[in-house]
Amino acid sequence: MLNVTLKGLAAHKRRLFGTCLAVFLGIAFLSGTLVLGDTLRANFDTLFADANAGTDAIVRSASTIEADGGRGPDLDGRTLVPSALADRVRSVAGVAAAEPSIEGYGQLIGNDGKAIGGNGPPRLAGNWITDPELNPYKLVEGRAPQTTGEVVVNRGAAEAGKLRVGDTTIVQTPEPVPVTVVGIASFGTGDGFGEVTFTAFNLQGAEAHVTKKPGVASSIVVRAEPGVNEEVLAERVRPLAGDGNEVLTGTQFTAESTDQIGRDFLDIFTTFLTVFAGVALLVASFSIYNTFSILVAQRSRESALLRALGAARAQIVTSVVVEALLIGLVASVAGLLGGVAIAGLLKGLFDSFGFSLPAGGLAFQASTAVICMVVGMVVTLAAGVFPAVKASRVAPVAALREHAVEAVRASRLRAVAGAVLTALGVAVVLSAVLGGGDSVLAVAGLGAVLTMVGVVVFGPVVARPAAGVVGWPLLRLRGVTGALARQNAMRNPRRTSGTAAALMVGVGVVTLFTVFAASIRSSIDDTVSRSFGGDLVVNTGSFGGGGLSPALAPELAALPEVRTAVGLGQGVVQVDGDGKRITVADVANLGKVLDLEVQEGALERLGPTEMAVSSDEAEAQGWSIGSTAGIRFVDGATASFTVAAIYDVGDVAGDYVVSRAAWAPHAGQDVDSQVLIGLEQGVGLTAGKAAVTAVTAAAGGASVLDRKEYVASVAQGVDMMLGIVYVLLFLAIVIALMGIANTLSLAIHERTRELGLLRAVGQTRRQLRAMVRWESVIIALFGTVGGLGLGVFLGWALVQAASAEGFATFAAPTGQLAVVLVAGAVAGVLAGLGPARRAARLDVLQAIGTS
Amino acid sequence: MTSTTTSTGETTAIRVAARAVHATKIYGSESTEVRALDDVSVELPGGRFTAVMGPSGSGKSTLMHCVAGLDTLTSGQVFLGTLELGALSDKELTLVRREQVGFVFQAFNLLPTLTALENITLPLDLAGAKPDPDWLDTVVDTVGLRDRLSHRPSELSGGQQQRVAVARALASRPQIVFADEPTGNLDSRAGAEILAFMAAAVRDMGQTVAMVTHDPVAASYADAVVFLADGRVAGHLADPTPQTVLDSLKSLKG
Repeated sequence: MLNVTLKGLAAHKRRLFGTCLAVFLGIAFLSGTLVLGDTLRANFDTLFADANAGTDAIVRSASTIEADGGRGPDLDGRTLVPSALADRVRSVAGVAAAEPSIEGYGQLIGNDGKAIGGNGPPRLAGNWITDPELNPYKLVEGRAPQTTGEVVVNRGAAEAGKLRVGDTTIVQTPEPVPVTVVGIASFGTGDGFGEVTFTAFNLQGAEAHVTKKPGVASSIVVRAEPGVNEEVLAERVRPLAGDGNEVLTGTQFTAESTDQIGRDFLDIFTTFLTVFAGVALLVASFSIYNTFSILVAQRSRESALLRALGAARAQIVTSVVVEALLIGLVASVAGLLGGVAIAGLLKGLFDSFGFSLPAGGLAFQASTAVICMVVGMVVTLAAGVFPAVKASRVAPVAALREHAVEAVRASRLRAVAGAVLTALGVAVVLSAVLGGGDSVLAVAGLGAVLTMVGVVVFGPVVARPAAGVVGWPLLRLRGVTGALARQNAMRNPRRTSGTAAALMVGVGVVTLFTVFAASIRSSIDDTVSRSFGGDLVVNTGSFGGGGLSPALAPELAALPEVRTAVGLGQGVVQVDGDGKRITVADVANLGKVLDLEVQEGALERLGPTEMAVSSDEAEAQGWSIGSTAGIRFVDGATASFTVAAIYDVGDVAGDYVVSRAAWAPHAGQDVDSQVLIGLEQGVGLTAGKAAVTAVTAAAGGASVLDRKEYVASVAQGVDMMLGIVYVLLFLAIVIALMGIANTLSLAIHERTRELGLLRAVGQTRRQLRAMVRWESVIIALFGTVGGLGLGVFLGWALVQAASAEGFATFAAPTGQLAVVLVAGAVAGVLAGLGPARRAARLDVLQAIGTS
Repeated sequence: MTSTTTSTGETTAIRVAARAVHATKIYGSESTEVRALDDVSVELPGGRFTAVMGPSGSGKSTLMHCVAGLDTLTSGQVFLGTLELGALSDKELTLVRREQVGFVFQAFNLLPTLTALENITLPLDLAGAKPDPDWLDTVVDTVGLRDRLSHRPSELSGGQQQRVAVARALASRPQIVFADEPTGNLDSRAGAEILAFMAAAVRDMGQTVAMVTHDPVAASYADAVVFLADGRVAGHLADPTPQTVLDSLKSLKG
């Protein structure tokens, strides 16, 4: 029996290849995801371990404020410690070196006058730590900074900005500081910590420009003398640390840094990728299952013959199981290896979208191999066994008959089960979305899965009429070729729907994301364009990270073309113990360029201990005008603030607004993230923009956007995520298309004699190719239309569920969805090309041969 | 052009619907060489029903495939009317088959997805031509399928399916209809019906039919029989009866 299986496999290399390819792609993506995740984790680990290798202890303030950052990176702030602490620590027995370390914001400007740095990674400035073992950065060129105008920059930043030793440039901290680059440094062994840029002044320079306060530092880093254990060292330093400060060992600090990256970034990142690997695998499973179903059906006569000759049912099933196991094994191993290439491609993808990941060799762990092999084998086996068992139930004599091969009509049970599941799924989604409640998303998600399963089960029932409807125009446009293609697509609904289901899932997920993103965009568009009353905006990129000097807004306001210029800054404070992001603004003028739709109170008269809050936040906290809350600043100062205004629109300003007078005394570096500008009456947009650009160009080339550009830039992050999602889902779509190609190839094999007859009675090769291609297009369109329907519905549900949390209005982007539809048809043509070519190559005489 | 005496005794100029001239077809090469056709020259006269007979491996199917433009010769020539097929490309051959040749095969003659009527007009539809309604009516009535036109092949008996195939072969009013063992899969009654229809098409509608068969009874429906053996022409027989065909076959083997 094994012999029969092996000979069968060898005899059908092409279909074997097609099946293997589906498994291969699914597993390759999974493996690539796992490898990339492990690689990043390993790289971050070594990066921190290397960088902190010389640090045995660190003294810093225990007081820190962290806030979740809505659409931007998380902000956190830690109270500073006195630099003099370093001198006291140095006197402790066993301490070899102790130095103050300053870390803050500093945007480095490249040789081309543009700001250096991608989207997201911080741009840091600090002091050059003179003890080479304590300093995570190592000089690779030049020397350490000696005067306040000299800096060392990390190699990655130097390369990105084309800066060389001896060049002069600007660092915005955020005031522009003219500096000379005197050295270039590596971070551990790398060019830098990811895409983070680091500019190191000497200590006096860092105090002057970064902390702007002499005698304080972010932390004190300590190195032990040889032979002194870091635990012991930390114990000895602890009594000197002072009130409110803490001492960590080097190991603890490294672990904390790594954890933070893991928690904030790696986990989300790998989860995100795993979801897409899951989608790819799901689509691949459909293709594999479908291929096996056809193979088993085609072989049912062969199996029947074997059974008539005395083979037991179990032997027939075993034969398919062996085949599935072999395919699963080969394809999974290949996929595992292909995953390494995929990991490289994915990294390149994220780089090209501006999310740079640290470099380093690929980490291939045993767990990756185990997971991929198990998943690959199980999926292939499950896909193979089910049709095999089903086929083995057919009586041998029935299978031997000529027409037993094609079982066509969908069963009543399937129709009922499919309809009930779909209806149930839709009902669950609707009740979750319309009913509201705490776990809207979870319930709606369950409903979405139910709906999808229901649609897949129901597929064969609608495949026949649906293919008929989709193919109907062909009847008019393409004559008998179109009619034959349509009939072929309709003749085996179960197969058509199984083939289309893979594409349907892929397109469904694409549509879901497209609709969701479009909805977010449109609600951002709505609120921003409604609330923003100015003409121009100066900003530094949608992901923050950059900063503008608070001096810029007054400078711009002084321009004759400008009526109002209001800087918006961001900060974190503790409100009654919870970290919150706040917006800092010139409240007297804010209302002229940004309509927050103030419900109560007066925003423009906000005093130094007063704040404005969004109506959502006020409701959540149970505040009204006159309520008070305890505020703690990053520098440790506390104050009681009174709610003096409540506003409705928080899309630009967030939940808390305070005046600059309230914030500035407590901020180390007071940074604006954007400046909103209203032009004087009668000043044209072009003239106004030119005047503003002239000022900002000197300050590092922050972008100056008009209303439309600004609205687009706020939504830009959404577009970027959507771009990445598209590229990831592209793979799932490719797998689905190969499924179509595979099914068609097998169908053509099955219809050899029919094709021969057509050619004999006068069908040209061209007509034959067109017929196969059109069949492919009909199947692809059936899948695409189904996917679009499913995706729009689930997208709508997701938007509704999310709008319960108050941010999105549903919008179906008809243009983009039309593109998806056309792409589906084109993809159908592409999938049909190969099978069509093979079909046309058919030898007429052999095809009609009666043997 | 040749002169032949018709059954009515009149002498008329009869066109040649198809002919092979020194046709040779060799499969394989060197030691495995098989001469399926060895210098065969035959004429299939127009307006006549010709049967091609011979034992298995005599080359009768190969001859038909070559004359019909389904296969190519190793050497020699085949003509459909005055058109030499050897000079044509695959596309031109396809068009010749579509417009000038009708086919009836032993089995699997119809597309399962099309109705009987759609199957009948398939060659015309492929050519994008409109069927001549009067001719179509005549053909449909001759094969007696008027009430079965909207049925699919799976809903028809074997004999009915083969009648649809005959109607399809005639629908485009081809130069010649080739039938390859058309009764091979049918019981004798259905087979007799098919043969009668083909004979009627020749007699009443002026069509030309060439049929490959090894059944003497089937051959007796033809106006003339060409015998092949070992790839060569081995004899002719006019106005055959089952008995004269059997006798000729016996003398071939002897």
